[in-house]
Amino acid sequence: MSAQDVTGRKPLQVLEKIRENLERLNDKIEIMIELQKHDGKEVQPPISDAPLDVMTLLSMPDHLRKTAMTLCRLGRATADEVSQQTKRARAVESAYLNQLVIMGYLKKERNGRKAYFFVDRENQR
Amino acid sequence: MGRILAVHSYKGGTGKTLISMNLAASLAEHGKKVCLFDLDFRAPSLATLFKIEKSECWLNDYLNGVCEIDKVLQDLSEKIHNGGKLFLGLANPATEAIRDMSAKDRKWEMRALGRLLALRTSLLNDKGFDYLILDTSPGLQYSSINAIVSADLVLVATTFDRSDVDGTRRMLRELYDLFEKKTEVVLNKVLDVSSKAGKEEVQAKVNEVYQVPLLGIVPCFCDILKARGGTMFAQEKPDHPFTRILDEIAAKIDKTA
Repeated sequence: MSAQDVTGRKPLQVLEKIRENLERLNDKIEIMIELQKHDGKEVQPPISDAPLDVMTLLSMPDHLRKTAMTLCRLGRATADEVSQQTKRARAVESAYLNQLVIMGYLKKERNGRKAYFFVDRENQR
Repeated sequence: MGRILAVHSYKGGTGKTLISMNLAASLAEHGKKVCLFDLDFRAPSLATLFKIEKSECWLNDYLNGVCEIDKVLQDLSEKIHNGGKLFLGLANPATEAIRDMSAKDRKWEMRALGRLLALRTSLLNDKGFDYLILDTSPGLQYSSINAIVSADLVLVATTFDRSDVDGTRRMLRELYDLFEKKTEVVLNKVLDVSSKAGKEEVQAKVNEVYQVPLLGIVPCFCDILKARGGTMFAQEKPDHPFTRILDEIAAKIDKTA
């Protein structure tokens, strides 16, 4: 009996699905680590579509401001692209970006294996 | 790749608009493609100083998302020599427009920031501009902070007025530093810098107080007061000492590009 018969899918697709799920799990673990590191003090409860304006940027803790500013400049970017600008580790940027998503300042969408972060300026009313 | 410069100050009357106008003209006279924007929506002045009463669209309209940036730009290049280009993006000076801009909320300001940041692509990348100069309103206004966040370099126009020195020092630490912006100071209306010793003393004082590079020292010129803002020194009076100082500032900026 082939692997395709057992799962109803091709082995490559199954592996791809496992990889996607592992990446999602990794994102969540990174957020948890980050929350623990900052003792959860600086993280606001989730807000739907909080405006990422300059006064909000000013009031953010330094580590998040750097990430948010970089994303503002790039428009739409992966954690890897942000980390190239900030010169911090990809995992660190991924945690900060996810934290900003939880806080309602950023949106996140997946395109295949890549997770893109962006400020949804035009859809905020 | 071109650069965005924001000209800002803590207090009003420090010479932001004078420096912005003449810096833009000086860069254009040296062959650069420059656009000067009026981001002082509460007290627009460039439309008056350039004697322009009408515009197809104002910068307000672009930030409101009702027109593209091309419709805002006014071409003044025919006044420029040496093949340089000078464009203007004006704030609407009508009272109704000022009132409208004063009542914008945080979400609008966030979108306005996005549109200012988009100028990097539409003007610097696509249209080949060398410099966008953003003349801002003083202090912690939304439009000014949007300009600072969008800029590659912030020029702070300051004087030796005590409250200005204190406020500028605070702004350097609590605004520009937080945004990790490259900041340089232009000291304006200085009384005695005719001697080398006088200049060095001023330079040392600025270094001690602000701890950021001093881009230029502009003495107090009666000719500037007499011109009442109506003279573009860098273009109309190329041999005036003020023009020479602005040329030096422009050259320093261009050297670090």
